[in-house]
Amino acid sequence: MKVNLHSEEKEGVVTVFIDGEFDMAASPKIRNFLAPLFHENSRSIIVDLSKVPYIDSSGIATLVEGLQWSHSKGKKFRLTQLSPTVKDVFEIARLLTVFEVFDTIEDALQGV
Amino acid sequence: MAQSIKITIPSDPRYLCVNRKTLQQILTLFELPEELTGQLALCVDEACSNVIKYGYEGETHHTIEISYTIDNDVFEVNIRDYGKQCDTSTFQPRCLDDVKPGGLGTFFINKIMDSVSYCTQREKGTLLTMTKNLKPHMVDHKEKDDA
Repeated sequence: MKVNLHSEEKEGVVTVFIDGEFDMAASPKIRNFLAPLFHENSRSIIVDLSKVPYIDSSGIATLVEGLQWSHSKGKKFRLTQLSPTVKDVFEIARLLTVFEVFDTIEDALQGV
Repeated sequence: MAQSIKITIPSDPRYLCVNRKTLQQILTLFELPEELTGQLALCVDEACSNVIKYGYEGETHHTIEISYTIDNDVFEVNIRDYGKQCDTSTFQPRCLDDVKPGGLGTFFINKIMDSVSYCTQREKGTLLTMTKNLKPHMVDHKEKDDA
């Protein structure tokens, strides 16, 4: 299943929209999309997961990499609008407190 | 569903979703909670991903044979590959406190499934068998619906 990606930049905040399943097949493409964003001048990166119905450990690994890149570059890295299935995977992996997770994009934009 | 449903997919990550959808459709017939359906699909997916990564070392032209059975409310999945046999004792889930990319697949499998066994006593490849008792979840689901 194909994953579609696009991003929007506004006042130093890049929001990445992922549309599709975030599995072993999609992770390299998403990783390649995210990686350059950490080298740009933006101060925050928000990943909108509202159209991600499924995530596996390779997807989680990609987001953990993003988190590590954000730490090394001094940027904020936030996740928003996790579907119940995706949220459950984060819960099992006890990652909901590791990432900054927000219910809405508006919430995620606060304080970035 | 004492009779098995079998599916064979290429060892190519692009086809993981085909297997996932098949399993989700099967589980839908049993009216399981969405959360459990997602978790079982995750475990099977992670196991198939491991076959591709470690058993077939990323080669995409091999096969993965998967069979599903639900008998007496016990879900069983068998995943057969013909790749490299790995030392299954090294399949250890990593500590969750150590936040780093990778290594979560085995953790998900061990956390969610009731039993996990790897059989390498064959000429080639591995047979992985995983089971999950669905009964407690079915009751819980029905009670929620009745409430």
